Amino acid sequence: MKKEFTAVSLPTSLYREIEDAVRGTADPSVANYIAKVLRESLKKGGSTEEVFSPEDEEKVKDRLKALGYID
Amino acid sequence: MRKVLIIGLDSAPAEIVFDRRKEFPVLNRLIEGGRFGTMRSSDPPITIPAWMVMSTGKDAGRLGLYGFRHRTGPTYDKMWIATAQSINEPAIWDIIGQAGGQSVLVSVPPSYPARPVAGQRIGCFITPGADKDYTYPKELKAELEEKFGPYMFDVPFRIENRAEILREIYRMTEKRFEVLHYLMRTKPWNLFMFVEIGVDRVQHAFWKFHDKTHHLYEPGNAFETAIIDYYKFVDQKIGALLNEAGDDTVVLAISDHGAKRMKGAFCVNEWLIAQGDLVLGAAPARGANIEKTPIDWARTKAWGWGGYYARIFLNVEGREPKGIIKPADYEREREALAERLRSIRGPAGEPWATQVIKPNEYYDDARGDYPDLMVYFDDLYWRSAGTLGWGTMYLEENDTGPDDAVHAQHGMYILYDPRSKASVRKDIDITDVAPTVLRAIGLPIPADMKGTPLR
Repeated sequence: MKKEFTAVSLPTSLYREIEDAVRGTADPSVANYIAKVLRESLKKGGSTEEVFSPEDEEKVKDRLKALGYID
Repeated sequence: MRKVLIIGLDSAPAEIVFDRRKEFPVLNRLIEGGRFGTMRSSDPPITIPAWMVMSTGKDAGRLGLYGFRHRTGPTYDKMWIATAQSINEPAIWDIIGQAGGQSVLVSVPPSYPARPVAGQRIGCFITPGADKDYTYPKELKAELEEKFGPYMFDVPFRIENRAEILREIYRMTEKRFEVLHYLMRTKPWNLFMFVEIGVDRVQHAFWKFHDKTHHLYEPGNAFETAIIDYYKFVDQKIGALLNEAGDDTVVLAISDHGAKRMKGAFCVNEWLIAQGDLVLGAAPARGANIEKTPIDWARTKAWGWGGYYARIFLNVEGREPKGIIKPADYEREREALAERLRSIRGPAGEPWATQVIKPNEYYDDARGDYPDLMVYFDDLYWRSAGTLGWGTMYLEENDTGPDDAVHAQHGMYILYDPRSKASVRKDIDITDVAPTVLRAIGLPIPADMKGTPLR
């Protein structure tokens, strides 16, 4: 699968700041870091807290377990 | 807008629908007048995300959905379950709604909570129970229950009484089609889509009775024809529904992935222990859950989850709470582990066709909580068992109870357009489905859908 990219402009000072912040971390790429932070901020879903009560969540997990989707 | 009816047959493989088509007169009629073929499903080929990849035309990475459950951030023991709320991309029914059309959606996973749609929606099998609000609009629930009683989302599964499971599957399907007929007659629609989960359930419960190549198959067993008989029943039901769907309606019968025999369950965490990647703090009880087992994180590099495919997580310094893999070593460690996973052999030393996926490299745009590695043991013939304490890495049966079938990467589709009848075989990709439906209905295809509409 070929990835497609596009360019955006950032103040160089901000770029350097991010560069310093990610240096020596698991992924020292500035672009990856920016993409990750932006995705986090865009993300609306991801949590089931508001969907299931704790009892309902257990019920659903048990069913998914019985169905073989999770172990 | 033209009308499109999508008949979702969860998990139906081409090996049954096409190879035994003479036994299913209705589906066969669609095949003989339509385009048909295999459909390469999503990665992973699991109900969630597959139906949503199909309906949005976006891959699982873009949806940020890698199965039913996901690890919550870089934690050791927190997870979240995908629901309808987790879908952030527009589906075909959203696009149809924006264009002024109406949709009727019945049990398309995930559809709990029943989010608003231009039209009607009924929840799927992740609905906790019939006591919940499981329809949109809310009043639809009372309207349906008054006529048909409580809706059946699923059947109680993995109970040893197979005859009971079979009865319940028939009861569920019978009820669903009553509701489908009613909705088809009384509600306006441009898109009418439902998913019959009974197909998946009957296959998981009866595959070893049906498939002569299954290691637990017994000739002459009482359930030998259970799967095919159920398909015949569903075929008749589809026939009756088609009589009400309208002569000019485009019909798409489709599965979200295929199914095939399960060869066994591979205990991924037992293997990681043997490899020295996972170190426990205490000996596990037989069948112990990894989340409830004490782990010596200071000496653990990786652990895994079970399911139809394995998810592997690495214990990375600065990411996991007690991570030990140095960030600079991450890629090297991950590749070395991927290589070892690819070289795993079966119980008799036979080579496996194992596929290992690095989500952040594999998907165009991997979002959300993906694992470090996704593993299809022996092309999915071996499911992944995350539980511990079995004293072996190879289980003949599923660790969480009987389950005779696994998922196959390829599902099937039949597209029948009464205006252009022709029996043409063409294999497609799951991302081709949304553009195909939009074209059939007469709407423009959004530029960010990568699939190609079938002509």
